[in-house]
Amino acid sequence: MNHAVLLDRTHATRPIRTRLTMTLAVFGSLAVVTCLLAPLVGSTHISLARAFDRSIPFSENVDAQIFFVARLPRVMAGALVGATLAAAGVVFQAMLRNPLATPFTLGVSAGASLAAMLAIIFGATLTIGPFSAVPMASFAGATMATGIVYWLATASGRAMSTSVLLLAGVTLNSFFSALIMFAQYLADFAQVYRAARWLMGDLDVGGFDPIVGAVPFVVAAFALFALLPSSLNLLSVGADAAAARGVDVARAQRLAFFSASLATSAAVSLAGPIGFIGIVVPHLVRLLVGVDHRIVLPASALFGAAFLVACDLVARTVIAPVEIPVGVVTALIGGPFFLWLLVRKG
Amino acid sequence: MLTLNAQDITYGYRRHGSRDAGAGEDFALRGVSAAIPRGSLTGLLGPNGCGKTTLLKLLSGVLQPEQGTVTLDGQPLSGLPRRAIARRLAVVPQETHPAFDYTVMEMVLMGRHPHLGPFQLEGPADLAIAREALASTGTAHLAERPYMTLSGGEKQRVVIAGALAQAPDVLLLDEPTASLDLGYQLEVASLLSHLNRERSVTMVLATHDLNLAASLCDSLVLLRQGRVLAHGPTTEVLTAAMVQQLYGVDAEVSFHERAGHVTVVPLSTGTPERGSLRARR
Amino acid sequence: MATRAKGLIALAALLVVGAAGQAGQTTQPRAAAPPRRIVSLVPALTEMLFAIGAGPQVVAVSSYDEFPPEVKKLPRVGALLDPDSERILALRPDLVILYGSQSEVQTQFARAGIQAYVYRHGGITTVLDTIRELGAATAHPTEAARVIRDIQTRLDAVRAAVKGRARPRVLLVFERQPRTLRDLYVSGGEGFLHEMLEIAGGQNVFADVARESVQPSTETLLARAPEVIVEVHTSGMLEAREVADEQNVWSALSSIPAVRNKRVRILTADYLVVPGPRLAQATEAFAQAIHGVRPQ
Repeated sequence: MNHAVLLDRTHATRPIRTRLTMTLAVFGSLAVVTCLLAPLVGSTHISLARAFDRSIPFSENVDAQIFFVARLPRVMAGALVGATLAAAGVVFQAMLRNPLATPFTLGVSAGASLAAMLAIIFGATLTIGPFSAVPMASFAGATMATGIVYWLATASGRAMSTSVLLLAGVTLNSFFSALIMFAQYLADFAQVYRAARWLMGDLDVGGFDPIVGAVPFVVAAFALFALLPSSLNLLSVGADAAAARGVDVARAQRLAFFSASLATSAAVSLAGPIGFIGIVVPHLVRLLVGVDHRIVLPASALFGAAFLVACDLVARTVIAPVEIPVGVVTALIGGPFFLWLLVRKG
Repeated sequence: MLTLNAQDITYGYRRHGSRDAGAGEDFALRGVSAAIPRGSLTGLLGPNGCGKTTLLKLLSGVLQPEQGTVTLDGQPLSGLPRRAIARRLAVVPQETHPAFDYTVMEMVLMGRHPHLGPFQLEGPADLAIAREALASTGTAHLAERPYMTLSGGEKQRVVIAGALAQAPDVLLLDEPTASLDLGYQLEVASLLSHLNRERSVTMVLATHDLNLAASLCDSLVLLRQGRVLAHGPTTEVLTAAMVQQLYGVDAEVSFHERAGHVTVVPLSTGTPERGSLRARR
Repeated sequence: MATRAKGLIALAALLVVGAAGQAGQTTQPRAAAPPRRIVSLVPALTEMLFAIGAGPQVVAVSSYDEFPPEVKKLPRVGALLDPDSERILALRPDLVILYGSQSEVQTQFARAGIQAYVYRHGGITTVLDTIRELGAATAHPTEAARVIRDIQTRLDAVRAAVKGRARPRVLLVFERQPRTLRDLYVSGGEGFLHEMLEIAGGQNVFADVARESVQPSTETLLARAPEVIVEVHTSGMLEAREVADEQNVWSALSSIPAVRNKRVRILTADYLVVPGPRLAQATEAFAQAIHGVRPQ
């Protein structure tokens, strides 16, 4: 089965409006069905009838608590983080004109990880409303990394150059990784273990508060994403070509960079840096629906949600009561997928 | 009636080469003026580094001159919104390397962008314009093919189709035949000539290929080291003396009966100095 | 180091394997004279040394040693991940107490002709065995036996105090992120914490998991529904107000009997998770937390 055939199937003679509607319908249903089914499955057997039985006081209803406190927030977090990381991946790949870019390429997650590590080491306990210490710290770290990369890329006063951006991001990644290793070296055993655990990602948020905290940022990021897709198409063909077609290149690049960084910051603060979503999902989606970003972006968000919720389902049931960190599951799926892609292309 | 008019442009002297330089890209221009009449096919001619790509970018509004103005139909480009410019002026870059595997149709439809609202998707009318653009460049049969699988000549024609889909009055092309072999060169050249005549698209062509310029362009702007050496109808401007000044090459410039246009045949280097980094004459 | 190191590490691997097989053994046993200069990298074993009367012979401890107070004056020579072998060698020890995984430094000391005692992790029996072995290695066998007897007596007292009482299902938490329930580390069905819990009259809710540490998800916590939750924090980290805050964190999981019946106990003390001479004290603290009893 070769490349052209896959595309032909979806492109044929149908105009984009139809393709977009169909794609959204299919992927939307997939996301909805996954999110509806996931809370029904878990390591413990529960009775749905009991869980929804209003006559039992909530504080005595184990089934209800398992469903509403343990599983539902976890599925919601999975959907939120999956959609966000997948969409951010699409945007970064288009902006950097590189299909291998991920939401973590520019150092945002390294900044988040370093800050989370420091919060763990120093035993930070500050809690403001729905935000607790480590998520707040990691969001701050991610924002700081975003700012540093942007400053580096625009330092000489000219408009942001994507190649300088990439270089700055990769450099920052290395630098922060070194600092993380250093911090691990200085920390005590328990803290190192906890930090390492955080780096593997964890969707078990244990309540709706952390989600409520992340939602405004995610919504803001997606609102900005909505403005991007056609610009992303043009930008990915070439910056000058895009400018000649009416795109305000500097503005579009800034918008793409900040919205995708914001999205990544929110996702990583909520659940840690879960890898592979931001690269596997966009590639998979492109194989299915073509490369037009107006379709790929929303489709990736929906598919990303379903994908991560499914991975987390596997992570929490396969060897219960012990859980596999969800980042390990996404890596186990993502790695072979990329090998397969490589073999196909080669 | 002047479609595009560049008046006394200066660019690039204050910067220190901080931009990314693409293949053959050149920088500085000083006191350059170029008047492009409506419906003409003008060539920007000169050796590498003379500033022709820069001038093209200034004419399209992608770059802003440090001094001087560029006007489109009498209106300064700096005062026009980018979309408005894009609705009237299209650019065919020297090379197009999309980062993703777009189909030919998708590439061409991107040309409709300046005509669409912020969230508007292409409709049947846009599809029709795209198909027509493909047809006029002889690439309609390639519509569903991935762009990257095409040959050099086909790719270039598709990119031209994409520019035509913008329904422009003016088409700027940067070295449109530079990376093509002879057959494709002739293909693209005749296509451009045809478009210029049949659709009255004003064209400005940056090239270092003397014979292409001679065969295609009705007027020429000769550039050397960021300044205009000469500007006028091809038959007047393209002379052996001018070729000598521009390239330091002895050439025979004559009207070729069978070809139907002026041809340039290089004879010898003439002087020991060659290349674009020459001492000032 | 390069290629020489490879040979030595191979040798060390053999030593470690040998050591693991009969762990606790000293390498290159010397004749007669008891060690006079001891360096200990394992805090629990430092405590043991002081408890059996070998304190005066201890010349350096690890970066994490805090008990007994005498160690505060002693030089520090690193810990599990960063043992400072140069410093250790400079102190001219004749006995070094190491972790089993520190095979590189073990090799170095073996080459220098220094006796090494390799710490082995395990349950209460292992702890008592370690005390006895250290007693033998430092020529304090009588004191070691006394310490062991004391511990056993105290543990028996705890057993007696809780005998006949109903054994509630207990969750023993030894690590989590402050102010949230994320990243919980609880005791599984193996190891000294588990055994202490059982002696203290509790029934470990994760007794069926054959691991020392378990990281339960929210769902698992709700499903296991412990009747008592005991959280241990090393002292100096929580003030009274913070204790209340940390207890409140559990209120989101109100269907857990321990939460509903307000049986979430937060213990702060530095001896609670040390597999050393004070484990009887820790066990008493657990019994107090679970049953409210103080053994005589």
